[in-house]
Formats: sequence, C-alpha cells, structure tokens
Amino acid sequence: MRITSFMIFNQLASALQKNMEDFTKLNSQLASGKRIEKPSDDVIGMMRSLDYRLSISTTEQYKRNIAEATFHLKFTDDVLDSVADSLQELKKLLSMGGNAQSQENRFFYAEQAAKWRDLLLGLSNTKLRERYIFSGHQTNQKAFTYDSTAYRYNYNGDLGEINVLLDTEATLPLNITGSKAFSFAMNGPLPTELSDGTPINYTQSTDPLTGITTTTVEIGSAGDPEYDTFTFSNLLDMTNVLSFAFEYKDVDGSDLNADPAIQEEMAMHRLMALSVPFADASNQITNIQAEIGTKQVHLNDQKTRIDSSALNLTNALSETEDADIDTTLTEILKTDTALQALRESASRILSQSLMDFLK
Amino acid sequence: MSLFGLFDIAKSAIFASQTALSVTSHNIANVNTPGFNRREALFAVNSVALSGNLFGSGVTITGIKRYYDQFIQTQLLGQYQNYGKSSALNQTLSQIEQIFNEAKNIGLAVPLTDFFNAWQEVATNPESFVQRNGLLLKANSLVLAAKQMDRGITENLESINETIDNVAMRVNAIASDIAAINGKIPLDESGSQGATAHDLRDQRDVLMNELATLVDFSSYADENGLITITVGMRNLVSGETSNSLSTRNNEEGDKDLYLDGINITENVRKGQLGGLISVRDTIRTNSLNDLRRLTASLIQEINMLHRSGYGLDGTTDNDFFSPLQLSTRDFSSGADMTATITDPDQLTLDEYSIQFDASGNYLVYNKQNGALVTSGPYVSGDPISFDGIEIVVTGAVTPADKFTVSPLADVIKNFEVAIADRQKIAAASSNTALPGDNSNALLIAQLSQNAIANLGGATFSSYYGGLVSTIGSMSRAASDSFTFDDNLLSELNTKRESLSGVSLDEEAANLIRFQRSFEAGAKMIQVTDELLQTLLNL
Repeated sequence: MRITSFMIFNQLASALQKNMEDFTKLNSQLASGKRIEKPSDDVIGMMRSLDYRLSISTTEQYKRNIAEATFHLKFTDDVLDSVADSLQELKKLLSMGGNAQSQENRFFYAEQAAKWRDLLLGLSNTKLRERYIFSGHQTNQKAFTYDSTAYRYNYNGDLGEINVLLDTEATLPLNITGSKAFSFAMNGPLPTELSDGTPINYTQSTDPLTGITTTTVEIGSAGDPEYDTFTFSNLLDMTNVLSFAFEYKDVDGSDLNADPAIQEEMAMHRLMALSVPFADASNQITNIQAEIGTKQVHLNDQKTRIDSSALNLTNALSETEDADIDTTLTEILKTDTALQALRESASRILSQSLMDFLK
Repeated sequence: MSLFGLFDIAKSAIFASQTALSVTSHNIANVNTPGFNRREALFAVNSVALSGNLFGSGVTITGIKRYYDQFIQTQLLGQYQNYGKSSALNQTLSQIEQIFNEAKNIGLAVPLTDFFNAWQEVATNPESFVQRNGLLLKANSLVLAAKQMDRGITENLESINETIDNVAMRVNAIASDIAAINGKIPLDESGSQGATAHDLRDQRDVLMNELATLVDFSSYADENGLITITVGMRNLVSGETSNSLSTRNNEEGDKDLYLDGINITENVRKGQLGGLISVRDTIRTNSLNDLRRLTASLIQEINMLHRSGYGLDGTTDNDFFSPLQLSTRDFSSGADMTATITDPDQLTLDEYSIQFDASGNYLVYNKQNGALVTSGPYVSGDPISFDGIEIVVTGAVTPADKFTVSPLADVIKNFEVAIADRQKIAAASSNTALPGDNSNALLIAQLSQNAIANLGGATFSSYYGGLVSTIGSMSRAASDSFTFDDNLLSELNTKRESLSGVSLDEEAANLIRFQRSFEAGAKMIQVTDELLQTLLNL
C-alpha cells in the first residue's frame, strides 16, 4: 500500500485522540468512583442501579416508620407501667381500707384514692408531640374528661388505629386506644355474692363505636334498705367510686344512706364489689403490655430484616455502579504507557523525511 | 539532421523537466489541502515529423494525470451521509441523555420516591403540620423536576429545529457553489483539447463531501462533466442552477423541509438533516410523550384518591395537583371546537383527532394507535362524548377540517400543586375520625407500588425506568454507530489518500529526478554549443 504523509499524520492524530479519550474516561471514573456515569455507559447496569437506589430509599422510609412506631409503642408502654403501678397502689388501699376504720383514716384513704384517680386521668391524657396517644383517631382531644353533671369520666376518643407501613403491604397500628387501655370487660365467672353472702350482680355492656364497656353493679336485693347500685366505664370511674366510698358517699357527694350503720355497710359492700374489677384491670394492663411487647419484637424482627436487605441492596448497588479502583488505576497506567509509546514512535516517524538527506 | 536538432531535443528535455517540476511543486504545495488529488506529468516521445528520422526528436508532456478513483469517491459520498447522520444522532442524544442522567441523580426517580415517602411520613403523623409541610415541599420538588425535564427536552427540540434551519442554509450555499463550479468546468475544459479542470473538480468533490455530511442525495454527471444533485427526489442542483431548500413549521411546530415547493421531510433519511429529523421525531413522539403521560397519570391517580379523603379542616373533594386540562388544536377553516373533561377518572390519557367524512359524519380517532374511538352523524353544537371527554364542534365542517384534543400536550406546563393550605391534605378517609385517621395517606403512599392501568400496568417508577433505559439504549446505539461510521469513513479516506494523497518523500525523489534531468538537458545545450564552437573554429 502506498503510504502518504497525510495518512501517517491522520493515523497518529486519531490514535492520540482515542488514547486521550480513554484516559479522560478512566480519569473521570476514578474521580467519581462510578463505573456508570450516564445511562448509555451500561443501560442494563444503570437500570439495576436505579432500581437498587429506589429500593434503598423506600427501605429507609420503612426504617423511619419502624423507628417511629417503636418509639411510640415504647412511650405507651412506659405510660402503662405507671398505670399498672397506680393500680397496684389502689389495690393496696382497697385491702387496707376494706374494714371499718376511723373517720380520719377513711378520709386519708379517700384523699389517696382521689390522688391516684387524678394521676390516672393525667396518664390517660398523655400527649406525645401534638397527639393524645389514647384517643384513637381523635388525637386532638383528651382521651378522658370529667363530666361534672353526670359525675362520670367520659371517653372522647374512638377505636381508630394509626397504622404505619412496615413493608409494601404490611401495616401495624402504633397506638393503643383509650377504650382498650382504660376500659375493659371482665372475663370468666363473676361472683354472684360477696363474702358476707350479699348477692351481687355485674352487668356489662360494650359500646361498639367507642369500645367502652360500662359495668353496672347491683348489690343486695331490690327493696332492701342496703340495696345499692353504681356504674363505671373505666379505671377513672372505678377509682372515683372508690374514693367516695371511703367517705361513705356516692360519686355525686351525697351520703350513701341517712343511717350511719347502713351507710357503712353499703360502703364496705362497694369496696368488696370493686376488688374484682380492680384485679381484672391489672390483668388488662398486663395483657396490653404483653401485646405491645409482641409488637416491639415484631418491629425489631422487621427492622433486622430490612437492615439486612438494605445492606444487600447497598452492596449490590456498589457492585453494579462503582468503579473498581484497582482495575481503573491499572487501566490508566496501561493507557499511559501506550500513549507514551505512541508519542515516541510518532516523533520518530514524523521527523523522518527524505528532504533531510538531500543536499 | 543538423546540429541544431540537438538544441531542439535538449530544449524539449528542459521544458518537460520544468513542467514536471511545476507539477511536483504543485503537489508539494498542496500536501495539506483537503480533497487534493496528486498529479503526475505524463512524458511521451515527441512525435517524429519527418520520415527517415531514426533517432527521434525529444520528449513532450502529453498531459497531467490526476490520481482519482470514482469508485472510492462514490463510496465516500455514501459514507459521509451515514457519518453525518450518526454524528447528529450521537451529539443530540448524548445531550438529551443528560436530562435523564439518573446515574448522577438527575431526573424524576428521586423526587418521585421522595414524594411517596413524604406521604408515609404524613401517614405516621397525620395530625402534624411538620410532616404536611414536608410533603408539600417534596411535591413541589417533584413538580420542579418534571418541569425542568420537560423544558430540557423542549429546548433541545427547539435547538434541533434551529440547527435544521442553519443546516438548510448551508446546504443552499453549497448547492449554489456547486452550480457555479458546474458552470466553469465546461468553459475550462473546452479551451484546450483533452485538458481537464482538475482543481475545479477537486473543489467540487470537497463541496459534495461536505454536502453529503449534511443531507443524503443522489448525483450523476452528464457528458460535459456537469453534476445534477437530487435531494428527496427533487433537484437541488441541475447544471448551473440550484434550487433552495426551505423550512416550514408543521402541526407540531417542528420544521419540515421543502424543496421546489414539495415537502421532502419524509425522504430525508441520512446526513445531519436526516439524523436531526429522526431524533427529533423520536424524542417528541416517544420520550416527551411518555414523560407527559407519566405526569398525567400521576396527577390522575393522586387526585382520584385525594378527592375521596378529608383534610384536617374536614373539607373533601380537593385535588392535590391542579386537575388535568385538555389542549385543543384547530386545523379547520370555519368550525370551532371546545373540549371539557367530564370525568377525570375515566381519561385514558390518549390524544385524539377529530375528523369528518364527506357524508357528514364525525370520526374520532386515537392519535397514538389510529383506532376509531367513536363516530356518528355531525350536528353542529351537539356534544360528542368519549373516554371522559366531551367535545362540542360548532359551524360548518369539511373533510379537510381536523381538530386534535390532548390531555398531555400542556400537562407539565400546567403541573402544579393545587393544595396551598396544608390542612387540606387529605390524610383521613372519614371526617369523623379527624385528625388521627391516616388511612387515605397510607393508600396514596401505597400507590407507588401499584400497577397503573393508564401506564400499561407499570408502576410509576418502573414506567419511568423504562423511559430512562430507552433513552440510554438509543444514546448507546447512536454512539456505537457513530464510532463505526467514523472508523469506516477514516478507512475510506485512508484508501483515497493511499491513491490520491501526496507523499513528500515521493515528491522529494521526483524533485531530484527532474532536477537532474533538467541539468542533463542544460548540459546537452552546453555540449551542443561546444560542438558548434568546435565547428566554427575549424
């Protein structure tokens, strides 16, 4: 083949160009640490890495949701710890005040019970950030408020569950409703007579809209002078009845009976009648705390699973799009050597000309 | 034979060497001239005038040979056309690819995921304003990202159209140059017998090479060496006259090419123009349309769920994004059309064209797949309903009239977050469960994983992924074919160079050779002179 100056020059120019191009590309891979710098570098790899990155971002969100739910449940659990402690103290009061006592003692117990009642009210209206945690969906309302005309504590919340996404499909409620934590239905056979033989009857009815169970207690037979009835629908009501019973009074502040002897008997009956629901209330709280514990274990498992899948995704992402530094550096050295050799040979070929040898 | 005959022979040798030296120096001078074909002086024995002259009468130059291969030149023209196309494709697509460069987190993927994640945050804290503000921020970044992409693509399309205009002007300049050269060649070549206008032909080849990178054409030369060039089956250059290529806007606002008053856009397939037209049409009908479709279906799906939920203030039936609007185009002479969305949830996000036949029926076609959507007798002012759209055409229509209706054309232009008051974000499914109800927010958050019917059953992010991979593949294919065409072109140029290029070594050798023969001729004159002196001194 006939070779001309232009051909040599052209070939050299394009070889230099190609080398510099490789050089730049490798250099920019090294600078960014990425093998794929635009979709066309590796379309399939790019799609995979996009997929990985979006999955990582979604997974991070699930992790945030789980952290939020865990925090919320832990917070609720702490509040319920205090509720359980209060109930423990109330049960002590109940057993200590179960006998006829001096008026001074009774008033002291009444005062104690009222304090626990107010503490429970405070606990039931615990707020986390802007949210009353026991109000179901009605998170801007206090869960329980005192109705001073009916002398009762009313539930203002509902049965709403605040679910969070733990995965594409799985959801978990992060709240415990007030009706579940502070109101309950007694299970199992209920006593039909008190220890002194007085007949007793517990009637329970649950409101399907709020989940609040109202219990009506009837003591004695209708028509008896010491016949007594009272109702409660939550722990606060129970404690309220208890507090007033220590003073031989009904919740509206009136005496239970005009006759002091009957009054005392009725109050004692009330205290005896309350011991069953108080015991059940403790169980109820324990059950809820167990349920929270199960949820926390579930969240923890989910978190572990998500963490490991996030790690896998991150590894896969790095494998797909990251440049292998060693290989890139080796490639750069190779390109550099080739470039130097090219320059050297070019300088020799280009400087050769017949003209130099003619005189 | 007299002694003076020796002078003549010597003179012919000197003249011939001088001519050959001129040719050599012309070659050397043009060593770097693009498109130059090397020349060679052709020596021949001078014809003998008298019979009986046994030893001849010296040398003559019969002509200047131009090293030129028509076959290689034809191949080169074809390759320049391919090269022009792939270089235009490569350049344009690598720019457009940057708009979708998810490798550097440029594009919609991240804002889209962030947007749905923000809904999860709202679901976790439905009553909190902090998370609601966060959602509005993320929604606005999504809107901004979509707008940037849409603008990026449209700006690219505009600049393609401008380039088409400029290239067309360059084509016209080249065409008139070629026509001018066409005019000169016969003049130069008719002067002396057998002479060819080498330099003009070289010049014309260079122009034709450049023309080939711009547009595909076919050419043929007549017996006088005049070249006729046709582009899209119309004459661009014929003899000494050239037609000019002009551009006009088409329905989409893109430039169409007209030559001789005829639209030749369809027939331009190669060269820079062919490349630009093909990439422009592909990007407009595929990528841009897909991006708009994605946005439209996002608006449609989010709004559908959002309208069914309740805000903190108890309001419902609020759109999250500004509702979809229809864009209409009127290609009729006398009729008018209005179009409204009657049910946004029923929109299929397709574009429609409304035409009329000779027997007074209206015909509604789906613009994408060409299917007939609905038809019936046309009555001015009667509403026509299909796919959640109602149109009303008034006035007299002819079969030449046409309207188009599109929910996509301006969707990104009108893409805005409609919710200004964070209280109106509908996280709740019921107005009695406010503010803690988060079930609607959960539904919207889960939308990101749902198959969307109007996206052909893809999720938002997988549909978008498809869009990115299409652009990536196109750009990859363009850069591969550019490398291929570039290599092939330089291979062909090497082939041409090997035959027609100037080799300085070769010319240096020739220089010596003709210098020596010049010197020898001169010596002969000296010898002849001395011989004459000898005779005169007798």
